[in-house]
Amino acid sequence: MVDIKKPPVDAVLIGFGWTGAIMGMELTGAGLKVVALERGENRGTSPDFAYPRIADELTYGIRHKLMQNLARETLTIRHSPWDRALPYRQLGSFLPGEGVGGGGVHWNGQHWRVSPEELRLKSQITERYGKRFIPEGMTIQDFGVSYEELEPFLDQFERVCGTSGQAGNLNGTLVEGGNPFEGRRSREYPLPALTDVYGATLFARAAKELGYHPFPEPASNASRPYTNPYGCQLAPCNFCGYCERFGCYLYAKASPQTTILPVLLKKPNFELRTQANVVRINYDSQGKRATGVTYIDAQGREVSQPADLVVLCSYQLNNTKLLLLSGIGKPYNPATGQGVVGRNYTYQMTGGVQVFFDKDKPMNPFIGNGAGGQVIDDFNGDHFDHAPLGFVGGGYIGVIQTGGRPIQQMMLPKGTPQWGSSWKQAIKDHYLYTVNIQTHGTVMSHRDNYLDLDPTYRDVFGQPLLRMTFDWKDNDIKMTQYVTSKAKEIAAAMGGKSVEVKMKQFGEHYDTRIYQTTHNVGGAIMGNNPQSSVVNRFLQTWDAHNVFVMGSSVFPQNIGYNPLGLAGALTYWSAKAIRTAYLKSPGPLVSAGSV
Amino acid sequence: MKISNRIEPFSRLVSMVVAVTFVAVLIQTCQVAQAAAAPQELVQWGAYLARAGDCLACHTAPEERPFTGGVPFELLVGRVYSTNITPNLETGIGGYNRDDFVKSMHEGVAKDGHYLYPAMPYTSYARASQEDLSALYAYFMQGLEPVHNPNRPAQLKWPLGIRSLMVAWNALYFNKGEYVNDPQKNTSWNRGASLVQGLGHCGACHTPRGAIGEEKASSEQDGGQYLAGATLNNWYASPLTGDPETGLHAWSKDEIAEYLKSLPPADNEGQDHANVAIKASDVSETTWALRVGDTRMAGSGVYLDNCNACHRSDGSGANRTFPNLVKNEAINAGDPISLIHIVLAGSAMPSTQTAPSAIAMPDFGWRLSDEEVADVLNFVRGSWGNHAAAFSQDAVERLRKSLTLQKSPK
Amino acid sequence: MSRSEISSSRRDFLRTMVALIPTVSLAACAPLSALRTSPAQSYSLRYFTGEEWAFLRAACERLIPADENGPGAVELGVPEFIDREMDGAFGHAANWYMQGPFACALPELGYQSPLTPRAVYRAGIAVVDAHCRRTFGNKSFSELPVTQQDSVLTDLENGTLDFDNVSGKSFFGFLLQNTKEGYLADPIHGGNKNLASWKMIGFPGARADFLDWVDKDGGRYPLGPVGIAGTRG
Repeated sequence: MVDIKKPPVDAVLIGFGWTGAIMGMELTGAGLKVVALERGENRGTSPDFAYPRIADELTYGIRHKLMQNLARETLTIRHSPWDRALPYRQLGSFLPGEGVGGGGVHWNGQHWRVSPEELRLKSQITERYGKRFIPEGMTIQDFGVSYEELEPFLDQFERVCGTSGQAGNLNGTLVEGGNPFEGRRSREYPLPALTDVYGATLFARAAKELGYHPFPEPASNASRPYTNPYGCQLAPCNFCGYCERFGCYLYAKASPQTTILPVLLKKPNFELRTQANVVRINYDSQGKRATGVTYIDAQGREVSQPADLVVLCSYQLNNTKLLLLSGIGKPYNPATGQGVVGRNYTYQMTGGVQVFFDKDKPMNPFIGNGAGGQVIDDFNGDHFDHAPLGFVGGGYIGVIQTGGRPIQQMMLPKGTPQWGSSWKQAIKDHYLYTVNIQTHGTVMSHRDNYLDLDPTYRDVFGQPLLRMTFDWKDNDIKMTQYVTSKAKEIAAAMGGKSVEVKMKQFGEHYDTRIYQTTHNVGGAIMGNNPQSSVVNRFLQTWDAHNVFVMGSSVFPQNIGYNPLGLAGALTYWSAKAIRTAYLKSPGPLVSAGSV
Repeated sequence: MKISNRIEPFSRLVSMVVAVTFVAVLIQTCQVAQAAAAPQELVQWGAYLARAGDCLACHTAPEERPFTGGVPFELLVGRVYSTNITPNLETGIGGYNRDDFVKSMHEGVAKDGHYLYPAMPYTSYARASQEDLSALYAYFMQGLEPVHNPNRPAQLKWPLGIRSLMVAWNALYFNKGEYVNDPQKNTSWNRGASLVQGLGHCGACHTPRGAIGEEKASSEQDGGQYLAGATLNNWYASPLTGDPETGLHAWSKDEIAEYLKSLPPADNEGQDHANVAIKASDVSETTWALRVGDTRMAGSGVYLDNCNACHRSDGSGANRTFPNLVKNEAINAGDPISLIHIVLAGSAMPSTQTAPSAIAMPDFGWRLSDEEVADVLNFVRGSWGNHAAAFSQDAVERLRKSLTLQKSPK
Repeated sequence: MSRSEISSSRRDFLRTMVALIPTVSLAACAPLSALRTSPAQSYSLRYFTGEEWAFLRAACERLIPADENGPGAVELGVPEFIDREMDGAFGHAANWYMQGPFACALPELGYQSPLTPRAVYRAGIAVVDAHCRRTFGNKSFSELPVTQQDSVLTDLENGTLDFDNVSGKSFFGFLLQNTKEGYLADPIHGGNKNLASWKMIGFPGARADFLDWVDKDGGRYPLGPVGIAGTRG
């Protein structure tokens, strides 16, 4: 029962994080009247992330002040289709953002592209290793768009963010000091790489001695003062160590606030409404188009916002949930393998090796930058021969020292007592003298890992929670054990006193309590076939030509890198299709019959 | 005025005479409330001049519609509010003819005869030419929507707050008269002077004032105080003279233009400090001390804990983002009140077309004692080649009393 | 109404100045004294009762004791930190999903209890004290010698000691987590008085600026810590 009906607009954006800001900029630039609806509150560098108040580990790092309030809405999680799903009651494994800027406020700034072959992974594996190399139950697919098509947009997003890095492949020519495995770049990064901290230097030296190819991790923490193409200004990162989970006080980390909003929020054809929680996309199934959205405002009133174009820019989980609640697209059924909305949910596989040093070598972990450091890509993507190894996927390995915040980031040797005088002695002995090498790798999609609606639990609006069915599969355990063993090899050559490996074991269940990245992907995947995807290669839903879905929702499986660089590029790619093709002739951009 | 081209030559002559007379009559003695429609070019020129005169800033209250007035000004005589200058008949200036408009701008007298206080800088606007005023008048009458918004009455204090006292003040201190070109100077100089002395009203903030609010000079002909710097409402407006230490001597033309257009912090060196290898000879003692954590010097510890994060150990800030403190006129200002103000209450750059990011400095009033504020500012004013006079913490205490500051970090 | 027709630059800038026109006169106040000095006055309890407070102080001190490496949890104000947390969003589980139905689950699916931290502490302290009185000659936990206190805590930690009204493991989990938080967090939250833990481990705290130190490989950072309130301890 709608309380308020708003006048129609050209486009409504659901959610106002990175993809909302990009799409807002693009569509207003095309002259559209755009309304963005964000469930959370407005936030800005001043006053919300001001120095020194933001340097408060407890409030932001542990109590998660900048993240989603699960009391209002969460999801349920189970390991298999035969289990009962229970609510994710506390934040742990992943930390969705809430409020203007979304996760773009509190991410680390690790800004990668994508390995070209990962965009066509199924074809690649089939061609190189044969169809039978893909195990039973694994449902990987091609994205439907190529690296070459995306290259200009990957470049564009880097320029908006002021990404600091060192190119490894400039128009086909390999460049010393960069990543030899990366996709071809048309030009250098907008800013030079950040300086390495001591631990990264030691890692790079050891990796090089072992014959690997270390390079600086691309960082959307500016290394110089930078003015982006919109005229927005960034300052150089000062390695404060309060990056992930925190807003940047220094205007150094790329976020919607620092790179886009100073211009977008002033545009006369743009309107932002906060505390506006979209509960439904209004879908005319006969006409195969949306008529707008319905949201609940701050006072709890139901508001209808008609629009010609609806773009889902909320978090990956919520995008999928909205499609399910609105009846757009056929929900996935794991028993039959039919349906598309909710299928191919995947995550990120992480592991690590800790290196403990003697007390004559302070590593100073508090000198932290969210991104940067030294990494190797030798064991990611299909950069190495998988034939004798029997798994699909890989990951990067490196030292990215994001900070030394004592509550969350304290590293102690296994077997250290957890309390008492011994614990106190241990933190004194080890806090300054430890380096973490992380491994960050793929998770392949599987028929039993998917999203649907929970039958029991509800959110504060009375709507069903999303239900996540997910567990680790052997393929990814094999991968992480292989990649982490390589990390251990490098760790042992770094001159430490001892090393300790942290990696998953076969049979281990997905643990929702331990933070492992907020890289949830899939659920509204892209592709060329409406039978196995929710959106086409322009991120337009097959079932409603005026509904587009952004973000990592569209990844058919996860890539080895952090997903935001690719998600941002896909948003620019989709926006261009909307501006240059869709608006001129609204309708399906890809005919369902074609491949 | 368009002259029909279908009329025979004699008639044409007559028409031209009539037209010219008509225009003259219009300009000189038009009695009707609304002039016949001025051409769009004139309205647009008026809009441009209104930006030069920055009418918008004082005549628009926060969250209110443009030019509808309501901004309070605390003066010696009491509190006055800016007025509605949209062409609304009842509450704006819709009833003003051109003469009324000129009288308010050139003489500081409103249509109903009451005297304006020089918070409205008629003392500067008096320099505007008749042509300029025609354009401005056209803009205000035709370029704006009339908005009904009654003016807030002034709260004047006895005995100074009697408006007719302004007659005497004007007689003593108000130099009337439009700007007259100096024949010894070129066109650019004269154009600049007419803008600075006239619509730009730079002297209204940047020229020191006497005890009863009079600007001590109205041009460079008037003694050395013109644009020599002044403190107003707890802010110090730096000198705009060519003084090498405190003025704009070191600023290039481009820098001045960029600054005025976009107000980013001026940076003379474009320093890239992130990866610069430090050579001992290049680095000042202060910088070395800060970098090795030597905090013996008073204020250096406060600097490290509060300022270093953005302004850096060499004071250079970040180009186009955080101000360079080295040999910065504002840092070396005679009156440190602006600096104290910024440290206590914070500050933000305005968002402009060319520099949309409103980079902000946080407030430190809740974190630092009066002594710490004085120490750190004196430290900055005496480091890296700055050598401005030290001041006592009493100045901090005085300013703190008049500001509303937040008390805690949470 | 769209305000964006207005070029907001100068207007906003002047607005900032206008806003600073004094409307309220404040006596010069030094808010810092409240933030910085920690006079040795007794703390006023917000949540815990006197008896619970005695338990808390004793338990915290066993988890992080005073020793040759420095002061322990009690001297650093950790019990005060925990009491303040109970009074805030965390204590009330304000940001957790607390709708039913509740069910037992694999530990990997996370916390599934309807008990807020306030409830856990209240119930946990009560049952542990009751257990101690039954087992150790009518002495509450805080009256036991430290070796016995340690063994009770160990039993809670490994699940040997468990109760109907509250999970012993869960109670110990909160106790340990919150004690470490209070020990290592910024002093504005009530614990880590005088930045003592940060001094011990070498963490610079809220200085949050290390650009001049990135390239000092293996060098020892010379400055002590600073807290958000500005204290260097």
